[in-house]
Amino acid sequence: MNRAIRRLSIAGLAMFLVLMININYLQVFRVNSLAAEPGNIRIFDQQFKNSRGEIIAAGDQGRGGQDLVIAKSRPVKGGYFQRFYPLGRVYAPVTGYDSVFGTSSPNGRTGIEKAENKFLAGTAPSLAVYNLKGLFTGKPKQGASVYLTISPKAQRAAYSALAAMGKPAAAVAINPSNGAILAMASYPSFNPNLYSPLDTRLVGKIDKRLRSNPSQPLLNRAINDSFPPGSTFKLITTSAAFKSGKVINQNSTIPAPTAYLLPGSHTRLYNDNGAPCGNGRPTIEFALTVSCNTAFAKLGDTVGGSALHRMANAYGFNNPNLTIPLPVTASAYPPLTDPAQIAQSAIGQFNDLETPLQEAMIAATIANHGTTMRPYLVQQIKAPDQSTVQTAQPSSLGSPITPGQARSLTLMMEQVTQNSAGTAYLTAGPPATGILIAGKTGTAQNGVNNSHLDDAVFTCFAPAGNPQIAVGVIVQGGGFGADAAAPIALKIIQAYLGQR
Amino acid sequence: MSAVEMAAFPQRGPSHRAVPLPRGRRSTELAMLCFAVAIMAFAFAASGLGLNGHVPAGLVTYVGGFSVLMAVAHLAVRRFAPWADPLMLPLAALLNGLGIMMIYRLQESGRNGNPGLVVPTLIAHAALYQLVWTALGIAGFVVILAVIKEPRILQRYTYTLGTIGLFLLALPALLPSSISAVPGTAAKIQVAVGGFSFQPEEFGKLALAVFFAGYLVAKRDVLSLAGRRFLGVDLPRARDLGPILVLWGISMLVLVFESDIGTSALFFGLFVVMLYIATQRKSWLMMGFLLFVSGSLLAAAIIPHVHERFAIWLDPFKPSYIYGSSLQLVHGLEGMAFGGVLGTGLGAGQPYQTPLVQSDFIFTGFGEELGLTGLMALLLIYGLLVQRGLRASLAVRDPFAKLLAAGLAFVLALQVFIIVGGVTQLIPLTGITTPFLSQGGSSLVGSWLVIALLIRISDTARRPAPQPIQDEGLTQVVRAG
Repeated sequence: MNRAIRRLSIAGLAMFLVLMININYLQVFRVNSLAAEPGNIRIFDQQFKNSRGEIIAAGDQGRGGQDLVIAKSRPVKGGYFQRFYPLGRVYAPVTGYDSVFGTSSPNGRTGIEKAENKFLAGTAPSLAVYNLKGLFTGKPKQGASVYLTISPKAQRAAYSALAAMGKPAAAVAINPSNGAILAMASYPSFNPNLYSPLDTRLVGKIDKRLRSNPSQPLLNRAINDSFPPGSTFKLITTSAAFKSGKVINQNSTIPAPTAYLLPGSHTRLYNDNGAPCGNGRPTIEFALTVSCNTAFAKLGDTVGGSALHRMANAYGFNNPNLTIPLPVTASAYPPLTDPAQIAQSAIGQFNDLETPLQEAMIAATIANHGTTMRPYLVQQIKAPDQSTVQTAQPSSLGSPITPGQARSLTLMMEQVTQNSAGTAYLTAGPPATGILIAGKTGTAQNGVNNSHLDDAVFTCFAPAGNPQIAVGVIVQGGGFGADAAAPIALKIIQAYLGQR
Repeated sequence: MSAVEMAAFPQRGPSHRAVPLPRGRRSTELAMLCFAVAIMAFAFAASGLGLNGHVPAGLVTYVGGFSVLMAVAHLAVRRFAPWADPLMLPLAALLNGLGIMMIYRLQESGRNGNPGLVVPTLIAHAALYQLVWTALGIAGFVVILAVIKEPRILQRYTYTLGTIGLFLLALPALLPSSISAVPGTAAKIQVAVGGFSFQPEEFGKLALAVFFAGYLVAKRDVLSLAGRRFLGVDLPRARDLGPILVLWGISMLVLVFESDIGTSALFFGLFVVMLYIATQRKSWLMMGFLLFVSGSLLAAAIIPHVHERFAIWLDPFKPSYIYGSSLQLVHGLEGMAFGGVLGTGLGAGQPYQTPLVQSDFIFTGFGEELGLTGLMALLLIYGLLVQRGLRASLAVRDPFAKLLAAGLAFVLALQVFIIVGGVTQLIPLTGITTPFLSQGGSSLVGSWLVIALLIRISDTARRPAPQPIQDEGLTQVVRAG
């Protein structure tokens, strides 16, 4: 019988070995996948037991302004922490929210709270050394702080201007030289503190209510909604014309009929109020100053659909992979072959769509001597011991135009505000401000048979001689870009530059 | 080997040489026992410190009470089984002590101002009850050692114990669900009367092990006769297949009426393994295995409860299961993953999140708080206990005791495999207890009885042969006159 017993001993040993191997697999190799299981109650619980890092608007650093904490964790009963947003609505498109559904639902977090969650929660691998130190010193785990490029001055001005307008709108301001986003406001906004309670039922109810709200307060219009660019697209058409060599500089003349028969169709295109454009063959500078439709539609046809498509892409259109680090909806300029459609698209109509961020990037590129900088929100990440974990490295997305062409465009855009015939003379020119703003207005027709109110668009940078800020504003149903959008941009510029 | 062989070659028995006859080693046992109690005491202190930063007030009561019980057990071994294996008692004591510690830690969670949630299925004095059950277990342990001086005494009661065993096994199935169903599960495995419940299978298992050993020792020559050859395997004769088929039928009935795969696997495994040891014929093992697998698959196809166990084993994270039938398994797995390699530390994890963590899932509770490291240690303790049992089986000469020890030791391994494999998603989960660790009186008392029998058998195995008064060779013939 002993032989059988020895064999059974081996079988028993094998059983224990299999158990041990399986447990090793479970507690070593499956740790991450099990932690990531939606509904893992321990991970769920854990995330509210640690103090999440702060989100700080640090864009006024070195400009005589203070850093502003826009999201922090406060202890509540039971040893848990709850998120608090001191200026909720103003910064909601930036911070997003952090809810009890953070790990279980793709919409459980948004904004920077989602994009930088690893750092805020302290789980990023680069924080491992710091966490290990905390393990031995017994300090409670704390997340890293995220310092943003957002300027509190510009952001506050942007949100109050949008709110005063009271229409769905968004504004984005960029530092043209490095791509740092100085302001990103969206209206109507929401109060992210509503998502903070550690109560799944309450938060679920609030989320449902906000999601079914027809004014879409959760939508970040600055980067996740797109609008027709209207006449501001003429800047891109001009860039394409410069690049093609068919137009040399701002003093070159272009044909500008009073009525332009769209090629291959029976549709006639007019300027605003059917007015003629100068003498019918104005300089391109004058055509842009008064924003002639016929001149740029014809120019678009001359340059061609593929050249326009290439130039739009160079400015950042049709890029679905841009993150700031929030994912940005791609602005659309479709490749076209029909000449009538090309002509329409050249003045920002037809199927052109852009985000307010893209709008700001157009001005920023021209301001930065023709080079587009990658827009970004996060300047720096600091571990709880104030050691820097990560610092932003500005990078270029490409150069759609040469510095010389950018200079020509700048001079043209100055005329828009400085020339008394310019479309933004009254709202962004000498009557309104002493700052030299280079801008371009847009008034985009909208809806079936243009039945909706026009969207007001404005893109600009200032000061024109030494650009420090580029702004893009879109007001849905705002009417004329000069009337609705330009004053908002002006307020942001004034606040940021500290001049009237 | 038979008695005839023994007489023919008195000096050359292989079991003589394989296991050198040792001293009693009771002092070693005492030292190891003190070590086990010390580990329990440290674990108790650690769990309190992890829970609320204080050494728990219950430490003196529980560790003190447990020490007294273990001292009694040790003295009983000294008195009644002085040659017994010195490791079995300390190993069992360590497991039992850690079990009480974990139940105390779980009962304190969310109570008395401690953080965490209250385990709803655990009463506020669960650890005290567990200590009382330990006392009952030790009482049974002492009684067995005192009454059964020789393992073969049991052989006389082969059929009596067989009848009792079958009765105990079938009892919950015969009783109405109001008495036998475990609340919250479909399993009917207990007898609950007036707040007091016990699971007869824990004792039935023991009685049946004795019956199998007695029966097989008597019949093994017949059972090992070769019948037909099929696919290169010698099948037993058809008429000898009777007992295994009967046992298979019974275990399947248990499965059907008590909805308990774990228990039926345990019973059937016990019988098949003992049959194999008795006859040394692998064909029995293969047949038993095939019969059990086919029976289980059949049950999975027919019985919804069993089918569900298979389904959640294959995909516990399926959204339609996760908040229902697989919740416990999922929480157990996530708890173990949460613990990782080193664990959260005793008192610092969230084992209370797993439903019934104090009984079926106590292993995951240890996994969460002591980590992979702690689980490996626990499995090694179980492995050592099994190994000591098998060693006693190898060393003992009496075939009945040999068979009984091997069966008991292997069934301990099987039980650990079934429950630990179940909670770690290695095999379908079946609700059986984790020996010595789980909350539950019958299981604890039953486990102590198993240890008592193994200690008795190891004592028999290691006891030096009585010294002859005179050497036969020197016998002088005295002539009268």
